Amino acid sequence: MVSVTNVTKAFGDVVAVSDVSFTVGPGITALLGPNGAGKSTLFRMLCGLAAPTRGEVRVLGRDARTDVAVRGQIGLAPQQDALFDRLSALQFVSIAAEMHGVADPDTEARRVLDFVQLPVDDPKPVGSFSKGMRQRVKLATALVNDPAVLILDEPLTGLDPVQRRRMIELFNELGEAGKCLLVSSHVLDEVARLGSKVLVIAQGRLAAAGDYHDLRDLMDDRPHRIRVRVDDSRRFAAALIERGLVDGVSIGADLEIDTTDVDGFGRSVAPVAQALGVRLREVAPLDDDLESVFRYLVERR
Amino acid sequence: MTAEGSARILDRGYRKFEGRRSGVSGAVRSTAWHSTRSVLGLGRKARHKVAPVLVIVVAFFPAIVFIGFAAFLGGDEFVRDFLEGTIPAYSELPRQSLAAIVLFTGLVAPEALVRDRRDGMLSLYLSTPLTRITYMLAKVVSIVGLIAIVVLVPSIIYLLGLTFASLGPDGFGDWVTVLVRVLISGTLASLVYALVSMAAASITDRRAFASLSVVLAMLGTLTVIQVLVEGADLSINWRLLDPVNMPLEMLARMFGDVGQYRDLATERVYAANAAWAAASAGLLWFRYRKAGA
Amino acid sequence: MNGSVPSSRAVAITYRVLLRQLVSRGRIIALSLIGAVVALLGWVVGRARDDDVFLPTEFNDQIRLDDAVATVTNIGFTILVPIVSLVFAAAALGDTREDGTLVYLWLRPMKRWPIVVGAWLAAVTVSLPLVVIPMSVSAYLHDVGSELVIGAALGSVIGVVAYSAMFVLLGLFVKNGIVWGLAYIIIWEGVVAAFGSAAAKVAMRGYTSSIVSERTGVEIDIGTLAQSTAIVVPIVVAIFALWFASVRLQNLEVA
Repeated sequence: MVSVTNVTKAFGDVVAVSDVSFTVGPGITALLGPNGAGKSTLFRMLCGLAAPTRGEVRVLGRDARTDVAVRGQIGLAPQQDALFDRLSALQFVSIAAEMHGVADPDTEARRVLDFVQLPVDDPKPVGSFSKGMRQRVKLATALVNDPAVLILDEPLTGLDPVQRRRMIELFNELGEAGKCLLVSSHVLDEVARLGSKVLVIAQGRLAAAGDYHDLRDLMDDRPHRIRVRVDDSRRFAAALIERGLVDGVSIGADLEIDTTDVDGFGRSVAPVAQALGVRLREVAPLDDDLESVFRYLVERR
Repeated sequence: MTAEGSARILDRGYRKFEGRRSGVSGAVRSTAWHSTRSVLGLGRKARHKVAPVLVIVVAFFPAIVFIGFAAFLGGDEFVRDFLEGTIPAYSELPRQSLAAIVLFTGLVAPEALVRDRRDGMLSLYLSTPLTRITYMLAKVVSIVGLIAIVVLVPSIIYLLGLTFASLGPDGFGDWVTVLVRVLISGTLASLVYALVSMAAASITDRRAFASLSVVLAMLGTLTVIQVLVEGADLSINWRLLDPVNMPLEMLARMFGDVGQYRDLATERVYAANAAWAAASAGLLWFRYRKAGA
Repeated sequence: MNGSVPSSRAVAITYRVLLRQLVSRGRIIALSLIGAVVALLGWVVGRARDDDVFLPTEFNDQIRLDDAVATVTNIGFTILVPIVSLVFAAAALGDTREDGTLVYLWLRPMKRWPIVVGAWLAAVTVSLPLVVIPMSVSAYLHDVGSELVIGAALGSVIGVVAYSAMFVLLGLFVKNGIVWGLAYIIIWEGVVAAFGSAAAKVAMRGYTSSIVSERTGVEIDIGTLAQSTAIVVPIVVAIFALWFASVRLQNLEVA
């Protein structure tokens, strides 16, 4: 539904996005990257707000910068806070609906405001709203035309944990309904709850794309780190080393084991424990999570 | 065994500054200099320099043009006599750049003052040895210096240019007298413009509106007074309320010339300028006495 | 699904949104004060001049008419009309560009020119009453006949229409719309005025002043253009400025 081909964006001497290519289909895809990585610039190009210096961006097969109709298929919740301050939430979202040519703007506006759990008949102007409420107004505005593609730039920033959880639930609902959501963030633990498809951007380049579990497996030049809890750590560690099953062992309260052969290790750990007469309490992967994947990809630079 | 005496730890982390501190005068100097740099766009991208440089160029235009006349045509003695009658006197030159002067003050004071109020920098300044008064002093120094670029410097260039074209003052003594008059009168006129524009800029926190406020305070008042005196035939003493022409009138009187308004008594002209300066300083004090708290 | 929005609707929606944004208490009060000063001046000048008893009535009437026209054109067309237009027109799209709300107009299935036209209409809607009313009242208070009132009103309308279009365009090009607009008003139109009739065509002030000049028969240095020219050219300039602004909006990189 969204395809980006060899896109580069330069502002004078500064290259914000460098030769990025990917395609995104229905469901949630998280765009991950540190601050200044180029996420917002990429999003702006997807919506047609900025033109790539080189390369091609297509949403639903068309270029949002020149194609008037496809803009009606995109919903954007931008990063900046500014809204038309004087309008109430209902007015703001209704006007957005009108501008999209929605048949019954008022009804639709009420529907999406309800969906994001904002009071529909609140006459207060959005200028007086808190950060969390503004984020929800932005989301409602992005949803009101029932777009096929939703682009959400740091939508969870400034929300408290309860609001964040609710938003993530909303995103999951929308993803399951077949919409294509692109959500950007630099906070890893919230992204991890958005499903596992990621695009990792660092310093303007695409560092990785796909399911982050699979990405971890692909990174076979990095040993996997596994925590093992046993009754006799030292003896167990010595036995593992002797058998050549590990690359390194760190002995603390638990054993932290580095190994490049995860499968081999997995098959052997129980027999070794049994042979030694040592009680095995826990075997847990430590870096199968998004944060580790991200760190490996980004810190390598 | 470890060797003793040859090992040193060089970086123990955070340490206090033990050097000489420049005190309040240093703070005032830095603030003034930084303010000046900020207005002129120095140390920033080229596009921040465009507006001030453009206006400065326009302000210098008359001086350059007249020097050009003098240089090209001033060879012949007969022509020189003719020129001396046509080109403006030193006291009249600033008036030729009046539009640029007004616009420049509309740029300078807002840029120098409003940003600090808006961004919260004023509170930071006040947490240093600077007080509100010394902060304002620094700003006044900066703004007077900047306005002097368009009020005073063209006159100096004019003096130098005419001197080279043999149309300058006769005798070294006269030359120095003219120079001193140009410097003093130009500085005082710049001071009045500075204070009036600062007061006008202090009433709002948005830079664009501050510029508007300065321009309206100056140009608007000038036009209203003009209409009242010429259209409604009111007393010429109303002209004393004109913050644009009064400083230039005072400048002319300091040369012993009469500016535009022959019928205005010189003491009144000086008094009007002093009143404008005092009123502006008063408004500034009123606006800033609580600001940044 | 929804297709694109028809242009007439796009103009209407943009107009409503931006009109709301432009109407701010501070701006309206400050600019009304200026208008009040203009009107007040009309009253003062209208009352103030004593007729010279040694001159025949027509001469006195002519002097009063000259004074009135000078007042109206000096303070009205030099300051009130351009500055009020500048404040609202530069902000119409300029403010949305600066604070990022432009994206809520731009990323919509609407063409660009209705957005520009809607913005311009919003600016004109706010500016017109703040200009035409004081100018007409001022002209009326001068008590020199209806030609001045009509001329002042008409010149104000034409002025607002043209200046607003120019400054909407300006707001899309530069960050500090008001300052550049002030530079234009003070330096270009101010300095150009010094060159009198030769320069009348190059500054909007020439056109607005000419309208009053033609109607009242009073000669003004900068107001020497024919009535039809003085009305048509500013309108053409406005159309061109709005077209150019649409092109600019299409190619803009929106934050």
